[in-house]
Amino acid sequence: MNVALFDYGVGNLHSLGKALEGAGARVEVTRDWSRALALDALVLPGVGAFAAAVAALPTDPAPVRDALARGLPCLGICLGMQLLFDESAEGEGRGLGVVPGRVRRLRTSIVPQMGWNDVEPADDPLFAGLPRLTAYYANSFVCEPEEEQDVVARTRYEDDTFAAAVRRHRTWGVQFHPEKSSGPGRRLIANFIAAAALPAGEAS
Amino acid sequence: MLKPRVVVCLDVKDGRVVKGTNFEGLRDVGDPVELAARYEAEGADEVVFLDISATRENRGTLLETVQRTAEVLFVPLTVGGGVRSVDDIGPLLRAGADKISVNSAAVRDPGLLTEGARRYGSQCIVASIDAAREDGGGWRHYTHGGKTRTDLDAVAWARRCAELGAGEILLTSIDRDGVRTGYDLELTRAVADRVAVPVVASGGAGEAAHLRDAFVEGHASAALLAGILHDGLTTVGALKSALRGWGLDVREAA
Repeated sequence: MNVALFDYGVGNLHSLGKALEGAGARVEVTRDWSRALALDALVLPGVGAFAAAVAALPTDPAPVRDALARGLPCLGICLGMQLLFDESAEGEGRGLGVVPGRVRRLRTSIVPQMGWNDVEPADDPLFAGLPRLTAYYANSFVCEPEEEQDVVARTRYEDDTFAAAVRRHRTWGVQFHPEKSSGPGRRLIANFIAAAALPAGEAS
Repeated sequence: MLKPRVVVCLDVKDGRVVKGTNFEGLRDVGDPVELAARYEAEGADEVVFLDISATRENRGTLLETVQRTAEVLFVPLTVGGGVRSVDDIGPLLRAGADKISVNSAAVRDPGLLTEGARRYGSQCIVASIDAAREDGGGWRHYTHGGKTRTDLDAVAWARRCAELGAGEILLTSIDRDGVRTGYDLELTRAVADRVAVPVVASGGAGEAAHLRDAFVEGHASAALLAGILHDGLTTVGALKSALRGWGLDVREAA
């Protein structure tokens, strides 16, 4: 399995790259969209500010949307999840528009949410073997999908309950950082690689 | 709910973890990569590297250490010490740090916090406050490893740092550092109650009850410790199990 790890040019990809390799994937770090869409799976990492990452998106996101709609497995992490949406209150620019909805600021007294929080997953292959997951968050913004059915996990921080994970077809987004969530996080990354290895029609 | 965090700090010099012993100089206590991984296995929620290399030439060694660590560490890594400008932040993040802590450079140029947050997001930018009690009351902010007294009130400066873009305050009590009699709870609460970002209490940890007090009475989001772990007096696992016994919802190592 050849995985494209997209590089916006701002942040730390080492832990994520090693976690993907640990799950048996061959990782190619790239900033070239045509290359990224040509491999077996795409990972959008989670470091940086929204506007800076949007600047690294293609001017016309249609080829990315089409590739994901055709079944290219994709995992967006934190900011990478937020990029799957239409737009963000954090900054200028359009996201990829793969998951309908927008990104809003956390409605809590202390922002960013920094630390470990409980994730309550639905039945989804991404969370196989992880019925109770405590994951690491470092975010000021969260995603608000228009359609409830896109949400596959939730987290509560103070009185704000938000989408911890979304899924549409073979595209997943997680608001937390699995590559910083110790053993359980690495299990989730391995689950993504396992799901990505299934033929498009067989993903449950 | 968000868990109170137990953060382990390692002093790193020229690619090795070192420990001071009563002004007698520094003793080599191990490889930062191995020690960081061991603390993750024990249940540490985060690891901090404080670079105390004396010279600028050793920056490359630090970047290499951070990169080797990021390849085996799967909890967050904060790197502090020696950040002089916003241009020092990018290479550390690219090497594998998740957060960068800044003290002296932010006093010299407060815009560094704003520009760092704009480029990388505020969750990457930690303002390090080194505070000491003043005779007349309150706390003063110090720079250069606690050696230089500034004209800044520590609590007001912490507030300002959060407003400028810092996503976390690493708050060290100089008075309590290494003393092991507990965190300065009054200082911790004074800052935590006045900023809208998480506060990491530092300086003074001697036993599990001190961490509990930092969370419950100090209103800290995280408690940092170093010496009592490095000296083998306790373990992260033992501390967390005591905290759990007092009803604190700390993360269990999986």
